[in-house]
Amino acid sequence: MSTTLTPPEADVGARDRAIAEDKAADSRAKRAKLVHYYGMPLFLLVVTIALLLYIQGSELDSIETRALATDVQLDRLQQHLLLTGVSTFFVLLLAIPLGIAATRPRVRRYAPIVIGLGNAGQAIPSLGALALLFFLFRTIDWLPSTGTIPVVVSLIAYSFLPILRNTMVGLDQVDANVLEAGRGMGMSNRLVLRRLELPLAVPVILAGVRTALVLNVGTAALAFLFGGGGLGETIQAGFQLNRRPVLIFGAVSVAILALLVDYLAGLVEEFMTPRGL
Amino acid sequence: MTDQTNDAKQYDKETAIGGDAQVGETMIELRELTKRYPGEETPAVDRVSMEIPKGEIVVFVGPSGCGKTTTLKMINRIIEPTSGSIIIDGEDVTNIDPNHLRRRIGYVIQQIGLFPHITIEGNVGTVPRLLGWDKDRTNARIDELLDIVGLDPSVYRSRYPKELSGGQRQRVGVARALAADPPVLLMDEPFGAIDPITRTRLQNEFLRLQEELQKTIAFVTHDIDEAIKMGDRIAILKEQSHIAQFATPEEILTNPADEFVEDFVGTGATLKRLKLTRVRDIEVVDDALIGRLDEPREDLQKRLNESEWTAMLLLDKDNKPARWLRAPDFRHDRPAAELGLPARAMVEKQATLSDALEEMLVGSAGVAIVVDGRGAFEGILDVDSIITSIQTMRDADAEFYRAAKLIDPADEVA
Ligand SMILES: Nc1ncnc2c1ncn2[C@@H]1O[C@H](COP(=O)(O)OP(=O)(O)OP(=O)(O)O)[C@@H](O)[C@H]1O
Ligand SMILES: [Mg+2]
Repeated sequence: MSTTLTPPEADVGARDRAIAEDKAADSRAKRAKLVHYYGMPLFLLVVTIALLLYIQGSELDSIETRALATDVQLDRLQQHLLLTGVSTFFVLLLAIPLGIAATRPRVRRYAPIVIGLGNAGQAIPSLGALALLFFLFRTIDWLPSTGTIPVVVSLIAYSFLPILRNTMVGLDQVDANVLEAGRGMGMSNRLVLRRLELPLAVPVILAGVRTALVLNVGTAALAFLFGGGGLGETIQAGFQLNRRPVLIFGAVSVAILALLVDYLAGLVEEFMTPRGL
Repeated sequence: MTDQTNDAKQYDKETAIGGDAQVGETMIELRELTKRYPGEETPAVDRVSMEIPKGEIVVFVGPSGCGKTTTLKMINRIIEPTSGSIIIDGEDVTNIDPNHLRRRIGYVIQQIGLFPHITIEGNVGTVPRLLGWDKDRTNARIDELLDIVGLDPSVYRSRYPKELSGGQRQRVGVARALAADPPVLLMDEPFGAIDPITRTRLQNEFLRLQEELQKTIAFVTHDIDEAIKMGDRIAILKEQSHIAQFATPEEILTNPADEFVEDFVGTGATLKRLKLTRVRDIEVVDDALIGRLDEPREDLQKRLNESEWTAMLLLDKDNKPARWLRAPDFRHDRPAAELGLPARAMVEKQATLSDALEEMLVGSAGVAIVVDGRGAFEGILDVDSIITSIQTMRDADAEFYRAAKLIDPADEVA
């Protein structure tokens, strides 16, 4: 039997390689982080510039020029953001407290029914849902049939269920042992909710909010059905006038807005998720 | 610790005979405590009555589903009893505000339930903050507790639970339960989800801690070995939390109340008993044949030949056992210090018989040498004396229980 040990160089080589691999993994992680934070804005910037160049490069006739006038588009963007923002604000105000209430012990056994409804609501295509609401607003006399209010109400109704559902699921998935430990130490129900349940449900609730926001940006593009304005008007105009640059501008700008909102909501989500999770 | 417990256990036996003499005060009393879960026909816990003395660890042990957890959780009313009452330190707490009750009772569960989004310091400081302690006091207490459970505060205070190992988390769980120095602790399988080695270490640490703290502890486990190790008293529970036997570990091992207890304790009862008895509790041979390393060979040989012993133990100048010599060893022409076999298998007096037996089996001489703390010779322990002492203990216990039965007035009524 040989008594010599493995030559030390071989060992050192393996070690060096392992260290190099760790370093590589480190810089990969750093790069991933850079992409994570700067990738999307950069991409959106590129798409926006490309869109503007495309419009600039096309020979626009007078109709197209009027439809794509900067002040008109900025107006529509503002309307679009307002519709999305206001409806999301109200939906948070209504759906989150309801989700909390629906998971309290006394009514908890009905929670699966609500979650089921939420899932079903999600499955209805937005155009269908809006058409239904549109019909409703038209047939009921005392309801306004056009303008901002029907749009906002429709958006609330449509994004209500996902947020309600996520609030409930978020609260539901909190580790029961954590809650029992809290109660076992003498925390009141209110304290358990505030200090344990809500912080631990935040990631799921925010994921719901993010989904709802993006949905609302997309669905608000249908606001033109009620004469509610927004970037959907441009798409509509593109169809009606049969002008391709107008159509493309409308569609791409809605897409850019949706992606931007998703990105920003993602940042908020990350920022608000408690450390340690 | 063992001295104390042994005394306490001794005392119990006397009170069992005397009937009405009081062993210390009762800290927790359960009166006819019952829990029927909604929609269930039979109660999960049926009229349990029990008194837990101040400063003792009482272990609830029994098969799965017998109602241990339910019984325990009724004490801090995490589960509200259907009927019956709970008296803690003389106060009926069955109807007081449960949140106030719980701040006075430490609570440790198997899953630990650390708050994952809160740092270790925040976790440990939960109850002090609920009680409105000021910042400085809370902070000082957090450091003290982390020290007590063996976690360096400067390292661990600001970590999050997921940044700790399983054993460390369980320590934080214990520290958190002790935060406001509650007189009572409830522990539901606190060491259940930990690997065996860490579990043993945590058990030992906890017993050492308890020696200082003298808390009154209700402890749930399904492991009879853990019950024997941790319990000053053990309540063996049958279905619906009916108490099959409530007694010290010794009593349960030597005199199981019925077949159920016997089955539950299992066939290893005698082996388990060996873990409870210490070397100092039994008689060791102290007139063994002793020689000195520096004595002339001839003297040693002469004495060994003249004695009835087959071997002689040589001690060095500090009285520490050095070598075993037998008659045939003298055939070799070497100094005494190189004859025979080196002395191994040494145990101290506080070692358990189980430890001693293991040493004997490992050591070559078939006996264990009893030494004091400095390693100086005290006596010799052989397998026979262990077996004899077990026999004696069993006989004595049997006699004791016969006597207790004859005297106990409750028996006459029954
Ligand atoms: N919330 C509940 N609703 C209905 N029945 C329950 C509930 N919790 C426990 N039980 C039943 O009560 C009985 C006792 O349960 P418990 O949890 O106290 O048992 P245990 O002795 O702690 O068992 P284990 O060793 O498995 O933890 C079991 O039969 C169980 O099925
Ligand atoms: Mg249990």
